[in-house]
Amino acid sequence: MSIMGGLNAEKYDRSYSDWQLVRRIVAYFRPQLGKVGLVALMVTLTSLMATLTPILISRGIDLLGGNPQLQLLIALIATVTVLGILGWTLNFVQQWFSVRAVGNVVLALREDAFRAVMRRDLSFYDQYASGRIVSRVTSDTQDFATVVTLTVDLLSQLVLVVVISVVMLTQNSRLALITLTLGPIVVAIALVFRQLARRAMQQSQRAQATVNATIQETISGIAVAKNFRQESAIYTDFQATNQLAYRVQINRVAVFGSIFPLLNTVSGIGVAVIIYVGGLMAINKSISVGEWYLFVQSLTIFFYPITSIASFWSQFQQGLAASERVFALIDDEPQVVQTAHKPVGKLRGEIVFDKMTFNYSTGRNAVLQNFSLTIPAGETLAIVGHTGAGKSSLVKLMMRFYEFQQGRLLIDGHDIRTLDLGQYRQQLGLVPQVPFLFSGSVADNIRYGRPNATDADVLAAARQLGDGSWLDDLPAGIQTDVGERGAQLSLGQRQLVALARVLLQDPAILLLDEATASVDPFTESQVQVALAIVMRGRTSVIIAHRLSTVRAADRIIVLRDGQIIEEGNHAGLLERGGHYAELYTTYFRHQSLEYQPWQTQSKTS
Amino acid sequence: MTRREFTVKHEVVYDRRSPVRWLASHIWRYPALLITFVLTTFGMAGSQSMSAVMVGQAFDTVIRGVGLPALTTAAVLVAVAYIGYGLFDIVNSMAIRVLAQRVERDARDELYLSLLSKSQTFHGRQRVGDLMARVTNDVQQINQFVSPALGMTTESVLTLIIPLITIGTVNVNLLLVPLVFLAGLTLALRHHNNNLRPVAGLLRSCFGSLNAGLAETITGIEVVKGFAQEPAEEQRFQSNARAYRDAFIKEGEVNARYLPLLLYGIALGLAFGHALLLFRQGILSVGQVITYMALFGTLRSPIRFLLMTSSVVQQSLASARRILEMILTETELDQNSAGTSKPMRGDIVFERVSFSYGQNGDPTASVNGAVPSVLTDISFHARPGQTIAIVGQTGAGKSTLTKLLNRTFDTSSGRVLIDDVDVREWSMDSLRAQIATIEQDIFLFSRTIAENIAFGARGPVTREQIEAAAQEAQAHEFIANFPNGYETVIGERGVMLSGGQRQRIAIARAFLSNPRILVLDDSTSAIDSNTEDLIQRAMRRILDGRTTLLITHRLSQIRSADQILLMKNGRLIGQGTHNELMSSSAAYRQIFVPDDVQTVNRTRETI
Repeated sequence: MSIMGGLNAEKYDRSYSDWQLVRRIVAYFRPQLGKVGLVALMVTLTSLMATLTPILISRGIDLLGGNPQLQLLIALIATVTVLGILGWTLNFVQQWFSVRAVGNVVLALREDAFRAVMRRDLSFYDQYASGRIVSRVTSDTQDFATVVTLTVDLLSQLVLVVVISVVMLTQNSRLALITLTLGPIVVAIALVFRQLARRAMQQSQRAQATVNATIQETISGIAVAKNFRQESAIYTDFQATNQLAYRVQINRVAVFGSIFPLLNTVSGIGVAVIIYVGGLMAINKSISVGEWYLFVQSLTIFFYPITSIASFWSQFQQGLAASERVFALIDDEPQVVQTAHKPVGKLRGEIVFDKMTFNYSTGRNAVLQNFSLTIPAGETLAIVGHTGAGKSSLVKLMMRFYEFQQGRLLIDGHDIRTLDLGQYRQQLGLVPQVPFLFSGSVADNIRYGRPNATDADVLAAARQLGDGSWLDDLPAGIQTDVGERGAQLSLGQRQLVALARVLLQDPAILLLDEATASVDPFTESQVQVALAIVMRGRTSVIIAHRLSTVRAADRIIVLRDGQIIEEGNHAGLLERGGHYAELYTTYFRHQSLEYQPWQTQSKTS
Repeated sequence: MTRREFTVKHEVVYDRRSPVRWLASHIWRYPALLITFVLTTFGMAGSQSMSAVMVGQAFDTVIRGVGLPALTTAAVLVAVAYIGYGLFDIVNSMAIRVLAQRVERDARDELYLSLLSKSQTFHGRQRVGDLMARVTNDVQQINQFVSPALGMTTESVLTLIIPLITIGTVNVNLLLVPLVFLAGLTLALRHHNNNLRPVAGLLRSCFGSLNAGLAETITGIEVVKGFAQEPAEEQRFQSNARAYRDAFIKEGEVNARYLPLLLYGIALGLAFGHALLLFRQGILSVGQVITYMALFGTLRSPIRFLLMTSSVVQQSLASARRILEMILTETELDQNSAGTSKPMRGDIVFERVSFSYGQNGDPTASVNGAVPSVLTDISFHARPGQTIAIVGQTGAGKSTLTKLLNRTFDTSSGRVLIDDVDVREWSMDSLRAQIATIEQDIFLFSRTIAENIAFGARGPVTREQIEAAAQEAQAHEFIANFPNGYETVIGERGVMLSGGQRQRIAIARAFLSNPRILVLDDSTSAIDSNTEDLIQRAMRRILDGRTTLLITHRLSQIRSADQILLMKNGRLIGQGTHNELMSSSAAYRQIFVPDDVQTVNRTRETI
């Protein structure tokens, strides 16, 4: 599939009939009815005036044939001037209100889209790249605004075309018909152009994307290229891509560069025809010179809207498609559905999986099949197993991030589907595998789960971890800015912040997906100490990757293909010599001090 | 010319003394296109004026009753003028657009080449996003500068001047209103631009924060939902979206107040009045009045164009400045192709090495001299074949230290010697060819696996060599399991590899280059129960027989190294074997004590 082809479509997209779309859009404009009415009025008045000026001038020219009175001429001149001022005023009023109406509508649409996104469960976020979701909420709504502005514009031009046509027809039907026949020709040219333009545009966007991708790759991989001295190979590649992009762009240029000259020429020939035919009629006195002039002028006024309507049509369609995408996003339903919203008090922390069956989406293999597990309150449970065994799924189900298909999940004996989700989740302390920090200070991040906590509370929580010595390494203590997504902190520091966050939140249940990334041994030892503190006194479920963690757990379950295949504590499981023992020798053992990685090497030092 | 790590033959040289000169030198590479453009612009303005004059004449012939042939001639001439205009217009717009595309292509090429020739000190300090913005947006902005901005400006100026001259030839008195109008227009345009600029900037930055805020919420959705903070996030989004709407309305208001339009409306009335007055005095004919009004009408479109172009011109100059800044950034290393070039043994000596960024004329660093030292007074000696483990907290300077070896950076003071030769005396080709780096963020190109592995080789390699390297790196098995095997394309448009798989491909790459010295930065590698054992085995093989600087967090590897360098804040705070350090260094002991959390708990509770 082409890059462009895959750019916009998502699985939740649906198509709406034009009627449905229009109804939805109109609904958003209903609160802006007053403003919209005013704008419509201004548009009509502006169009009327745009025709009035050439009519007045043509009258003036007719007057020149006789010997006009000065007062009459002055009145005429004054009227033209006043019309100019009035035109500006009307335009001002129109813009003033239309920009407000459009701004409000886009705001409402964005808020709806955002709320819709927040309502989704995590299966939605797994499925769709974050960048694309963002662009639906911000850029697609923006395109929608462009459509609305464009529509107002086109509407006013359409009114103008109608008014001009009526004026021309009432003045002289023969000349009017000659002028009007040019309309379809222009439209036909524009339609052909639209086809060519779309193809050229797509190709050029694709070429642009390829060039950008090539450059992005070089910049990201520059260290490799330099370490291996491969600069010239890379440069040759780049030059080829760059040249290809250039050629594609030249194609686009050829299409876009020729359309307006072509349309202008057609309208110019139209002017010549009107001059000739009109001139003949003026000689025969069947029309006045002023009327003749009016036609020459009207032709230009008539042409401009038609060309612009024809050439903006594709942009208009793009905008409609954008609004369709936004509505599809709003209308999609979340899969996690609560049957009731029972208030959740302080939890004891007992968790029971009862014959549960779960898959991430229909048609995919079941991750859990008839799965049962009881975690008594206060237990520290370590889950181990290879990638894909279903470890994370267990934690995510406890978070109620996903809907399961069969069985039950009981929290302190309550069905998880009947709980108030907000209150329930506040009782869970989640430490994701890759700790996510929001831009802001360390303190802001620690108090994320308890926004009203004071700096003193935050500091107290942070100090509990590793005697707070980790704070000394932060340039401004808890007020240190963490940067975008925590980039200013090391991975280990981010883990400590995430643990402090949970400690301040004081949840009944700790759910921890241990980091697989290795952290320097100094910070790692701090993290381990911190972890022991956080786990104390609560039910803790840990997806374990650290030897120290499995050793400390009350119980270890070994998962394979969504089944518990072994269960027990570290020493007992090792003795059994089963799957866990194998996992230990190929994995956990490498973290043990006794392990000798270079034992096969003979090294003289 | 600046010093550089990489050069090509036949490079085109542009004038880099100022953004304007630079743009001019790019455009002037294609004088034929430029001249064609200017000439056809004259042609367009001329034929436009001609058609106006012809329309007026047509009217005069009819009013004076000169007769049909004269009318026919006038009408035909109008058609000719318009067709001529169309032809000029096509050639004109092709010329300027092709010129714009060429300038864009050339500017991108120039910038790209300059990026390739910059040292890694430079690249280490740049954010990929920033660089990308320059190479993509700023370069495209240069295109915009040529077409439409430069094109339209030239066109606008000419389509203002030529009609004015024509008006003057019809009757000099008629120039009064247009000239007054133009004076007013200039002032009004400047006023409008001054009002618009801050508002447009505000709108852009509001859109930026709206996007960035939303992206953050969505990326961190697990945490948002996990802590039930959806309402807070909604509030944040709302305030961003409102701020954007307010800026949007402000911009709309500025545009609504667009004064040139008002001026034109008034001027049209005045022009008409003036023409009628002159007619009454018998100075003008009806046809001349019509010609005048038609010519006055052509003044309308340049007004709109000028508004658009002035902001594009400003943005383009800013872009040109940013690109030039990037190109002109000094780089401190060069290829030194005349330097030492011989097979290495792999003996490494660091002699009182200190390093800080911002040396050697790197202008992106602070200039007040207060540059923090990244490495201070480091000395050690690695014999051929030894494994040196470097241990320390994030930011202690471990990676930086290894980068002094292959001259990614040069020392600020002290020396780095390989086989008793200062690295700065080595030819860069020879030096880098014999030192392989397996970096912490393993970067693979979006090419086939075979090509990625072959990247390490000097010159062509056979498939057997590639497979042998993959075998050594424990990577052959998983590669062979792909349907396309070694021809599998990696990356966004191909197969996504796991961390462990990427690491083994990087090791295979290093095997193929068969270096004497290996830098292995394992510090951020993920641990994966499926592949841990294989990776350990691959590493064991690649270390064998090579001098290795190993940055690792794996305690077992640290323990078995021949020598351990313990770093803190850019200094060496301990050096020796595991046993030596266990007895001499408290800091070192600290990392081995909490081996078992329960032990820690017990000790904590007893304290």
